[in-house]
Amino acid sequence: MSQDNLFPKETNFSPENEIPGIRAKIIGIGGAGLSLVDGLRFDNFQSVEHLAVDVDSRALADSIAGEKLAFGRRHTRGMGTGGEHTLARKAMEEEKDVIRKKLEGVDLVFLLAGLGGGTGGGAAPVIARLAREAGALVFAFTPLPFSWEKSRHSMAEECLADLRKFANAVIPLPNDSLLQMGGADATALECFAEAGRNVSMGISAICALVFRRGMIDVDFVHLRKAFNRRAGRTLFGYGEGDGEDAIRQAVRELLLCPMLHLPDVSKAADALLILITGGTGMGMAALQQVSTEIREEFKAGEHIVFGAHVDENMGNRVQITVLGATDLEAGIPTADVAPTAKEVIAVLPKSKVAHSSKLAKEKKGSKLKTVPAQPRNKKKDDLDQNTFEFMEAENQRGIFGDLPSRNIYAGEDLDVPAYLRRGVKISI
Amino acid sequence: MSKIIGAVEIGTSKAKALIGEVAENGTLNVVGMASRPNEGMRKGEIVDFRKAAAAVHSALEDAEKMSGTTVDEVYLAQTGSHLKGQMLRGSASVSSSDNRVDVTDLQRAAEEAKRRKPDDGRTYVHHVRTPILLDGRVVQDPVGMFGSKIDLGYWSIDGDDQAIKQALHVISNYSLEVKDLILSSIASSTMMAGPDLRRAGTLVIDMGAGVTDFALYRQGFVACTGVIPVGGDHVTGDLSMGLRVLEPYAEKLKIEHGKAISDPMDEGEDVWIIGNKTIGDRSIPRKAITDVIHVRIAELFEILSKELEGLLDPDELKGGILLTGGASLLPGVEQIASKILGFNARRASFPTGIDSELAQPENATVLGLLHYGLEDHGLPGRKKEEVETGFLGKFRKIVGLGVQS
Ligand SMILES: Nc1nc2c(ncn2[C@@H]2O[C@H](COP(=O)(O)OP(=O)(O)OP(=O)(O)O)[C@@H](O)[C@H]2O)c(=O)[nH]1
Ligand SMILES: Nc1ncnc2c1ncn2[C@@H]1O[C@H](COP(=O)(O)OP(=O)(O)O)[C@@H](O)[C@H]1O
Ligand SMILES: [Mg+2]
Ligand SMILES: [Mg+2]
Repeated sequence: MSQDNLFPKETNFSPENEIPGIRAKIIGIGGAGLSLVDGLRFDNFQSVEHLAVDVDSRALADSIAGEKLAFGRRHTRGMGTGGEHTLARKAMEEEKDVIRKKLEGVDLVFLLAGLGGGTGGGAAPVIARLAREAGALVFAFTPLPFSWEKSRHSMAEECLADLRKFANAVIPLPNDSLLQMGGADATALECFAEAGRNVSMGISAICALVFRRGMIDVDFVHLRKAFNRRAGRTLFGYGEGDGEDAIRQAVRELLLCPMLHLPDVSKAADALLILITGGTGMGMAALQQVSTEIREEFKAGEHIVFGAHVDENMGNRVQITVLGATDLEAGIPTADVAPTAKEVIAVLPKSKVAHSSKLAKEKKGSKLKTVPAQPRNKKKDDLDQNTFEFMEAENQRGIFGDLPSRNIYAGEDLDVPAYLRRGVKISI
Repeated sequence: MSKIIGAVEIGTSKAKALIGEVAENGTLNVVGMASRPNEGMRKGEIVDFRKAAAAVHSALEDAEKMSGTTVDEVYLAQTGSHLKGQMLRGSASVSSSDNRVDVTDLQRAAEEAKRRKPDDGRTYVHHVRTPILLDGRVVQDPVGMFGSKIDLGYWSIDGDDQAIKQALHVISNYSLEVKDLILSSIASSTMMAGPDLRRAGTLVIDMGAGVTDFALYRQGFVACTGVIPVGGDHVTGDLSMGLRVLEPYAEKLKIEHGKAISDPMDEGEDVWIIGNKTIGDRSIPRKAITDVIHVRIAELFEILSKELEGLLDPDELKGGILLTGGASLLPGVEQIASKILGFNARRASFPTGIDSELAQPENATVLGLLHYGLEDHGLPGRKKEEVETGFLGKFRKIVGLGVQS
């Protein structure tokens, strides 16, 4: 079944007011990556190209991407890798010149790959590295295996760690969690559709910032500056509001966005992208206010990309998307290739004060002490205040996120909520 | 003259201290008890020494104040998933020419059993004796009986040096001695499962905040113990994430409205997070709360079932399953436990005579420490004090208190 019909169409903008000069490429790798690329509709962005990469020639043949690249024929004779990520990695390394060609002159790369797959997991980190070497800014959106796909987990984690060394930001999309967002008895397919929706939200926010003129404008250089450093954990979420109080409603929804409440999601961002899109009635004062709140919420520092766009089609609706990354120099060993390619250095801010991650700092003294001791006696506090506190008190793996080691039992991390791992949908 | 003894459980939710007075006739009176929220501990292990120590010290201070006395030594509960148990066996042939069993025969068998050293970086925290066999028959006290061979075993629990050291330091920093380390699950069982139940065979499960401790008894002796690093905190964490509410609200929702199995009466009913219905408040379906809890509790018992695989025998478990610990207060846990473990499970009750204020499931361990400490666990024919010096010497070495060994 094709997933086309499951995706919302990107009709927010017309191609006329597109800022020229920047080239973006969405690259799907492996089965999951291909189906995500095919599900996206970015026809209204002229400078966004689609590339499908796989070892599986039949899967490639079925893809509707504008450009296709088969690799690894020597190793797999056109079939899948059968889950062997080392095979895909090796093949991609051997054929890196071909992909390098495809990356020439591309400024912005989106990688889509299921890290539980051999092809996706093995090739994505290599392509990310090549893209960085070619000077591109790389964002990756990566579905992670369901808990029941036990054998794929450790591999996916390994590939994720690998990918994080190279991409500027990696947004993990755990299939378990996506299942929570579908209907009551969501199937795997609906879960994939949910992944598609998230990917689409993320990419369109970034593309809108880069390619559209807005009320509050940013450009590619801003984006690159903000996300130039190697990212550790990331956060990604969105919210929408409608009517008179649309913008407040959107903030509220954003803070409750399930994507922000997953295990492993960062609560603080050293680099933060905020995009607010609304109808013509959107007021400047409210925008400033909201952006300040969001910055504080995610403890964002100087690396902020804030854009606000007006779209007549939005009517009274307001949509907010955030995408943030922690800069965890400490956490992950530095890769031997340079995320400091010349082009990247060129746009670095002049003052290069060593930037320590806020998250790392927060971790130490964090935990329960920020939590009000007696919730009952609290003053009249509005929902926003509550949820702000929530996010502050929370940490990456829920309440156990500050612990250094995982609580593994029979291949599962027991500190991750049981309902998530068991695919039990909670409706609130 | 009466004697004062103390007990400390450094629990994940609270540090608990208890002071007991043992009268000359052997009866135990609890004269002081205090507990303090403990933020220095996660999943049964100390992660912030200073916080854990502060909680323990202030609990001890309060308990001492309440009792009007001071303690010099305490029994200390041990838990945490670093603990591992195994059965160590030893045997000895009866050495006297007339085949009469002597205390020394038992000691030789015991020495052989305990000869196996724990791995590097680990220390035994507790050797629990299992039945003594004289020529293959279980006997209470073989000393003076006739026979040729003695077999005995110890269920031996060893743990990570660092973790044990930390716990011992918490006590020594208060200028107290640790009289003995006692496994939390065994302490709880001593309190909640009387001798009859232990003889009939029973499984005691202590569901705490950070971990779930269990001990299986057969024929009156410990057959197996274990620690699962999942407890009430996991339920709270799951609720916090699943309902997207702050952790203290999640804890409150759990305690006030939490259920582990769904109740048809709850269908379509909502509850308020804060309860004051202000703008900040939000309502949540009861069903969502139950659903989150159910999965977690069911998974916990599934893990227990896996850990106990092959050990739950109807003939050896006539006493059924007893649940205790703060998290066992969730309605419905007994049903889930019964269903998944396949034996009747019920909430354990305290023996009569325990003050009702103390007789709360979260106090099972700390109360059990005193009771276990009072019992004689040495080899038959041997004085209690002798047995314990061996242990203490070892702890001293770990903590660096002395050179005795
Ligand atoms: N979100 C999402 N996940 C998917 C999709 N298809 C597969 N997955 C997940 O991705 C992993 C499988 O990866 P695939 O993409 O099929 O594998 P591949 O990269 O083609 O690698 P091989 O076929 O093993 O060479 C599993 O963990 C699936 O749960 C999809 O369309 N969307
Ligand atoms: N009425 C209740 N319903 C559900 N859980 C409870 C209740 N009372 C206490 N708890 C939970 O029990 C746990 C504390 O139990 P306790 O045995 O004291 O743990 P520990 O010994 O690990 O500190 C906490 O997780 C607490 O939320
Ligand atoms: Mg494939
Ligand atoms: Mg306890």
